[in-house]
Amino acid sequence: MTHLLSSLVIMLLGVAACGFYFVFSNWLLLRIFPVRRVSLQQQAVNIQRAALIRPWLFLAPALGFLGLYLVYPVVESVRLSLFDRGGDAFVGVANYRWLFASEEFQESLLNNLLWLLVVPACSTFLGLVIAAMTDKVRWGNIAKSLVFMPMAISFIGASIIWKFIYEYRGEGSEQIGLLNAVVEYLGGTAQPWITLHFWNNLFLMVILVWIQTGFAMVILSAALRGIPEETVEAAVLDGANGVQIFFKIMIPQIWSTIAVVWTTITITVLKVFDIVLAMTNGQWKTQVLANMMYDWMFRGGGDFGRGAAIAVIIMVAVIPVMIWNIRQANAQMEGR
Amino acid sequence: MKTSALTITLLASIGTGSVTASDLLFEPGKDSRFNWDSYSELKKVDLKGQTLTIAGPWLGADKELAESVLAYFEAATGVDIQYAGSDSFEQQIVIDVQAGSPPDIAIFPQPGLAADLAAKGFLSPLDEQLGKWVEENYAAGSSWVDLGTFPDQQGQEQLFGFFYKIDLKSLVWFVPENFEDAGYEVPESMEELKTLTQQIVDDGETPWCIGVGSGGATGWPATDWVEDIMLRLFEPTVYDQWTTNAIPFNDDKVIEAIEDFGWFVKNDGFVDGGARAVAATDFRDSPKGLFSSPPRCYMHRQASFISSFFPEGSELGVDADFFYFPAYASKDLGKPVMGAGTLWSITNDTPAAREFIKFLQTPIAHEVWMAQSGFLTPFKSANVEAYGNDTLKKQGQILLDASTFRFDGSDLMPGKIGAGAFWTGMVDYTGGKSAKEVGDFIQSTWDTLK
Amino acid sequence: MVTVTKPLSSTDSPYQSRGLLSTLRRSPLTLLTHLSVIVIVVMWTLPTAGLLISSLRDKEQLAVSGWWTSLSPSTQRLMVRSVPPDAQLEEGGRYVLRGKVSDDQALQVLAFGWSSREPAAYAVGDVAQMRKGQTLSISSNGEYELSSPEPFSGARGKRLFYTAKIPPRFGLDNYREVLTTGGIGQSFINSLTVTIPATVIPILIAAFAAYALSWMAMPGRGLLIALIVGLLVVPLQMSLIPLLRMYNQIGSTFGVDAKSYLGIWLAHTGFGLPLAIYLLRNYIANLPKEIIESARVDGANDFEIFTRIILPLSFPALASFAIFQFLWVWNDLLVATVFLGTGEQQMVLTARLREMLGSYGGNWEVLTASAFVSMAVPLLVFFSLQRYLVRGLLSGSVK
Repeated sequence: MTHLLSSLVIMLLGVAACGFYFVFSNWLLLRIFPVRRVSLQQQAVNIQRAALIRPWLFLAPALGFLGLYLVYPVVESVRLSLFDRGGDAFVGVANYRWLFASEEFQESLLNNLLWLLVVPACSTFLGLVIAAMTDKVRWGNIAKSLVFMPMAISFIGASIIWKFIYEYRGEGSEQIGLLNAVVEYLGGTAQPWITLHFWNNLFLMVILVWIQTGFAMVILSAALRGIPEETVEAAVLDGANGVQIFFKIMIPQIWSTIAVVWTTITITVLKVFDIVLAMTNGQWKTQVLANMMYDWMFRGGGDFGRGAAIAVIIMVAVIPVMIWNIRQANAQMEGR
Repeated sequence: MKTSALTITLLASIGTGSVTASDLLFEPGKDSRFNWDSYSELKKVDLKGQTLTIAGPWLGADKELAESVLAYFEAATGVDIQYAGSDSFEQQIVIDVQAGSPPDIAIFPQPGLAADLAAKGFLSPLDEQLGKWVEENYAAGSSWVDLGTFPDQQGQEQLFGFFYKIDLKSLVWFVPENFEDAGYEVPESMEELKTLTQQIVDDGETPWCIGVGSGGATGWPATDWVEDIMLRLFEPTVYDQWTTNAIPFNDDKVIEAIEDFGWFVKNDGFVDGGARAVAATDFRDSPKGLFSSPPRCYMHRQASFISSFFPEGSELGVDADFFYFPAYASKDLGKPVMGAGTLWSITNDTPAAREFIKFLQTPIAHEVWMAQSGFLTPFKSANVEAYGNDTLKKQGQILLDASTFRFDGSDLMPGKIGAGAFWTGMVDYTGGKSAKEVGDFIQSTWDTLK
Repeated sequence: MVTVTKPLSSTDSPYQSRGLLSTLRRSPLTLLTHLSVIVIVVMWTLPTAGLLISSLRDKEQLAVSGWWTSLSPSTQRLMVRSVPPDAQLEEGGRYVLRGKVSDDQALQVLAFGWSSREPAAYAVGDVAQMRKGQTLSISSNGEYELSSPEPFSGARGKRLFYTAKIPPRFGLDNYREVLTTGGIGQSFINSLTVTIPATVIPILIAAFAAYALSWMAMPGRGLLIALIVGLLVVPLQMSLIPLLRMYNQIGSTFGVDAKSYLGIWLAHTGFGLPLAIYLLRNYIANLPKEIIESARVDGANDFEIFTRIILPLSFPALASFAIFQFLWVWNDLLVATVFLGTGEQQMVLTARLREMLGSYGGNWEVLTASAFVSMAVPLLVFFSLQRYLVRGLLSGSVK
């Protein structure tokens, strides 16, 4: 109990310190560049100067954390990727040369590509459809909660749940996996699903789609409600039917939200690791980049050079997403 | 953050909790099976106020067993031992040593991993006399010294690991009463084992339960099979060449061993659920087929530890028993035995760590665990009578009778092979690939490591 | 944008207020919509429901039959040992062992046998002839009688095989097993200790940054936003070793433990910030421009605008990020295993559960129940706060 109490105290202290930082830095700024009791000309200059500095005061703690916890490791990774397994000897691009020649890497890259195509598309599409449909039924919010629920479950929990779906028992035993039971009920033969190459990738993706659809649905549902009524009404007056309204009027209006959802899920997919680790650990040709990196970095003594090289590749893969977001941000800024 | 200094001091009071030495399981001086003298001797060492951190792979029941032994060292010397177990020990230890926060003692389930860390300079060499001591006091002593000796950062061979707690792998488990009901006899040779297998199939039953699923480590039980068969097909030197890649993984001999394993696993009628179920069945679930009604299989090849996954209340020797995974009578290779063991190394050189390694050399350290379960030792001075049950004693006997002892080969190979490509390869093999394809694949991975 | 702050209840759906659209509701499409929603909800809930039902089932039934069969009685083949020979009675020149195959009152034996080869060779009521003149009979309520012309010997009873119809058994036994395993309570507190500060600290920091990035003129703003989006994908595993190295250096310089709660809070703060800034910026940047501009005209500086206008307006977004961060920290295992010790005082719930999974391995009953235990808090948090989530996640791109 003392444990919880002291953690409460420290938590309050931490939050107070954050708040104190922002209030104090602002007070200091106003002391240095006063806006009251100074000449009008001086006031204008001071406001301008304060406005130059203030954003950086607001950003400072965040940038500090980002620099320390994310940028520094990234730089370190780029450096490590040019060194040997222990991080001692400089080896140039040898790790990358190995990487591109490695069959495992090609397989992971291909699988990752598949994940990137399938999961964001399915999650966003399903999320959109479910959002549109649940908005039309009275008990829509209950339905939304249930669809969103998987988001609250840890990847380990989700893996256990899906083992009950994909579980395979040998011929002659009763199947306790739902999928196999259904297949047998329909007259088919039970299959060890997660070992069947190519399709097993899809079975793993289903798990992530199951988790991420709720996320997409919640955001898109909110966006759908933000659509001005007039546009829809005008379309109805023009004689458009429900499906036409949905695709021709509603979708274009929430296009930017769809893009945000897509981006967020894409990023989750690039990092996907827990599901593959727990379900197959990359066997049966289900390897993905994040798991391959973990594998090289920590298994069997660890090869930091190669692990870091894979990490760098993952980061490079996100550059298109970054560019798109810069454009998006710039477009927004022009608007104001 | 501005509160850092403040919170750090606050946290210092939260973070440290000390574990008090638990009561000793066997009261010192009471049971005459134990060498209590060695315990009294230990009391001369005074480590009061010092802390010894130990990291190992054991959790749950195994952790309790280990701690029951550690308690004696704590009680005698006054040191405070903090054992931390992790089921991803292989990753955890790498993270810890790389980050500069290693435990004092690390318990490696695989010599390969220890060798890796030794080469990077993270292990401290053990005392020089220890090598001689092991040679004199362990059965097949020199092989244990060899297994614990690796090149250090400068490439110089040194003894880095001390073997304590051995597991026997060459065992076939069965239910004696099922054999009785069906009129089967325990086979004495590999030929007889194969005949028995065929006979069970002919009787319309399934001879084997084989499951190689193990989450992220899926495939390892199959590597044990191949290694055991390797030792039964060829001279032990071939085995040594194989584990060091002196002969390639796609060598005909290796292919032959894999295919011999295939005889058991790829013939559909031979395995419960068929070959396809092998990779999908968890190795812990797999032996349950022995005990179902009617039995789904009659035999299960697995290391000594598997008995803890038998149904609750199973009594070893009655409800389930084992026989030695036999050798080919025609090959005249004696009785090879494959096993594994944990290697104890110093990852942070402190006086307490040195004293602790000395403690492991006392008979009492072995006998306390022998008297419980899951522990075998080649230490000749440990009293064999201390073994907790007949099953352990019988396993200890197999260990002593072995004409050849070899360590689990996948543990000797580099981590990316022994805990990676070899596993994946065996999964692919049970999934339908040919032995040649699998051998080529593993060898090509091995080549990229050089 | 007004809809953002309106409470979302089903009666408030925009469609209901639109007379023109009521035609849509009456069309056959509506029925189809209802049906589809039902199908989807079932599909999404079924996996979790399966786990919940499984976790409540008897552990022996759990491993041999699917959870969907759990409501109907199952027919199982079982084996039991008779009472040991020292309980034998001598009756009329024969030695007899009597007992019951199971304590379960509702169990109904259908067939039995004495050999593993033919475990169901005899119907209830038959007398099975065994080796050496021994006989066995089992009645349908499970009572058995073994009899032999010679005394029974040995220490263990004989194996009896029977096929029985067993009624479904549900109970909290699996949960009891999981919860009574030592240390769960402590781990629960440890998890809370990690999670609460690791949720609150990043929000404040991110909110200021998000405001600066959306409403304050500064050079390199676009670049910073891009950088933050880029940092979203930094694989966590990669940062572990450089950070742990740094922690250890700090730890040894100041003479404190490198693995502390403070360390993990800051780590979670760092890892959670990119998403926090990204989501909050999307929301804050799309707040109505007029509000901010009129405040500016009134002479308010950015600090005042932020604390008086933006913060209250973006409460839903803050709450929704808090939920995300809470779920993520609570469910995290990787960061906790690296930055926290595994001692009693520091082991979090996920680590504890994994330890249990590691040592109980193939035991489905432990797996299912512990998975649900770990889900309890996130689900509770989710269901109690979800109304904010829906509102807050309305990231600003909605125009």
